[in-house]
Amino acid sequence: MSITTEHLSKAYGRFAALKPTSIRLPTGRLVALLGPSGSGKTTLLRLIAGLEFPDSGAIHFHDQEVTEKNAYERQAGFVFQHYALFNQMNVFENIAFGLKVRPRRLRPGREAIAERVRQLLELVQLAGLEKRYPSQLSGGQRQRIALARALAIEPRVLLLDEPFGALDARVRKDLRVWLRHFHREANITTLFVTHDQEEAFEVADEVIILHEGEVQQTGTPDELRRTPANPFVRDFLDVAAPTTPPGG
Amino acid sequence: MKPVSLTAPPLPRSRPPLRATEEGPLVRWTLIAVTLLFFALFLALPLVAVFAEAFRKGWALYLETFRDPASLHAIRLSLLVAAIVVPINTVFGVVIAWAVSRFNFRGKSLLIVLVDLPLWVSPVIAGLMYVLLFGAESPLGPWLRSHGIKIIFATPGMVLATLFVTFPLVARTLIPLMQAQGVAEEEAALTLGARGWQIFFRITLPKIRWGLLYGVILCNARALGEFGAVSVVSGHIRGLTNTIPLQIEILYNEYAFSAAFALASLLSLLALATLGIKSVIDRRTARQLAAGEGLSTNPDTQTLNT
Repeated sequence: MSITTEHLSKAYGRFAALKPTSIRLPTGRLVALLGPSGSGKTTLLRLIAGLEFPDSGAIHFHDQEVTEKNAYERQAGFVFQHYALFNQMNVFENIAFGLKVRPRRLRPGREAIAERVRQLLELVQLAGLEKRYPSQLSGGQRQRIALARALAIEPRVLLLDEPFGALDARVRKDLRVWLRHFHREANITTLFVTHDQEEAFEVADEVIILHEGEVQQTGTPDELRRTPANPFVRDFLDVAAPTTPPGG
Repeated sequence: MKPVSLTAPPLPRSRPPLRATEEGPLVRWTLIAVTLLFFALFLALPLVAVFAEAFRKGWALYLETFRDPASLHAIRLSLLVAAIVVPINTVFGVVIAWAVSRFNFRGKSLLIVLVDLPLWVSPVIAGLMYVLLFGAESPLGPWLRSHGIKIIFATPGMVLATLFVTFPLVARTLIPLMQAQGVAEEEAALTLGARGWQIFFRITLPKIRWGLLYGVILCNARALGEFGAVSVVSGHIRGLTNTIPLQIEILYNEYAFSAAFALASLLSLLALATLGIKSVIDRRTARQLAAGEGLSTNPDTQTLNT
C-alpha cells in the first residue's frame, strides 16, 4: 500500500516542527527518513501513524484518505525507538495484544492467535520465548518482539522510529541486514526514521532527507551521493565538494 | 606520549572505602542515636501507651467497649463514611491524575496546585466551609430545610468533609507515577488498534495498580481517622453523628479512659496495618518501576542468521 502526504504540516506552539511536506512512498518500498535531530522526521512519522494530528494537509494510504482517522483505525504498524513493550505482559501476550483487542467479530480464535504468534516469533527468529517478560530480554530481542507485535495486526504500512538507535553496534548491523532481508520477503511499504546516514543508505531503497522541517532531497542512495541538491545535503552526507567552484 | 595503562593494579584495601559523602563514625553514630531516640520517644512510646492504657483494666473491660451501642454506632458510621468516600476519591483521583499526566491544557499547573489545597487548609476550616455552604444560616439553608434535606449535623456533611480532606491522597500518589511512566506503551496499544477504555484497563491500570492501591489505603486510613473537619459538621450527637475519633474524644472527656483507649487502639491497629500494607506495596512498586525501565543486564548474545 502506498503512502502519500500532501502539504502536511505541524507546529508545536510557535515551533514549526514540520513545514508543508509532500512525500510519496510507492507500494512495497523501503524508505528512510534521514535528518539530524529536530529535523521533523519523527513528527512526520507520528503524523502518518496517527499519533499526532496535522495542522494542515492530507495523508493517504493508497487511495483512502486517513488524515482524520484515529491511530487505531489506520492499521499502521509502529515500532517505537525504545520498543514500548508492555512490561506486565509476557512475549506471547505482547504479540497477541493487537489481535485480542479487536472487536469480537473480527477477533481470531484462541488457536488462531497462538498459531499467529508462533509464526511471528519464528519470523523474528525468537521461537520459544513466549513465556519471557520484556525485562528478561536483551535489547535486540526486545526490538524484534516489538516488530513482531507490530506485524501481528497485518499492518498496511510499517513505520519504525529509530529502530536501531538504542542498540549496540554489532547488534545494529545484524538487525539492519535482517530488516533488509525481511522487507524483501514481506514486501510491506516501510518507512523508517534514522539520523545515521550509513544506516539509511545501507538499508533503504530510497532516502528522504529532512532538515528544519523541510524535505531537502529525495532519491536512491546513489542519486543522493552523486548529485546532492544543496549544500546542506552535501554537508550532511559528507560528500566531497565538487572540485570546480559552483557557478563556474 | 606515554601509552596509558587501562588495567591499573588494584589498590590495596585494608578497610572499606569511605565515600566522599560519608561522615566519620562519631557523626554517624550520633545521628543514628538521635534518630532512634526521637523515634522511640515520640512515635513508639505513645503507641505503646495507647495499648497499655486500653488493656490496663483487663480484657473484659476492653471488650465491654465494643458492646456499647454508641461506640458500635461510631464504628459503623466511620466505616460507612469511608465506604462512600474512598471509592469516590479513587475514581476522581485516577481521572485527575490521568488528565494531568496525559494532556496539556490551560490552567493545568493551577489544577495541580489546587489538588493539594486540602493538605494546606486546616481541617477545621474545611468543616466550616461546609457549614457556611449548607448550614441553617447559609443562603441554601432554608431551601434545604423546606425539602427535608439535612447535610450539616448529619451523615452527608460528614461525608463531604471527609471527601474534601482525603481528596488529594489518591491523585497525589498517581500523578508523579504516571508522569514518570510516560505514554509510550499507551501509544503502542493505540497503534495496535486498542480503544481508549481497552488501553486504560489493559495497559494503564496494570501499570499503576500498586501506586493506586497505596493511594486507596492511605485515603481509607485518613477517612477513618479524620477528626477536625468532621468534628465541625458532626454536631456530636451521640449514637447518631459520632465517628470513631469523635467518640474517642467524648469518652475521654467523660473520664471513660478504658473505653476511649480501647477505641483508640482500634484506630492505631488500623494505622499499623496500613503501614504494613504500604511497605509491601512500596517494594512491589520499586520492582515494577525497575522492570519498566528494563534494566536487564544480559547482553545480546544471540546472533541473527540471515
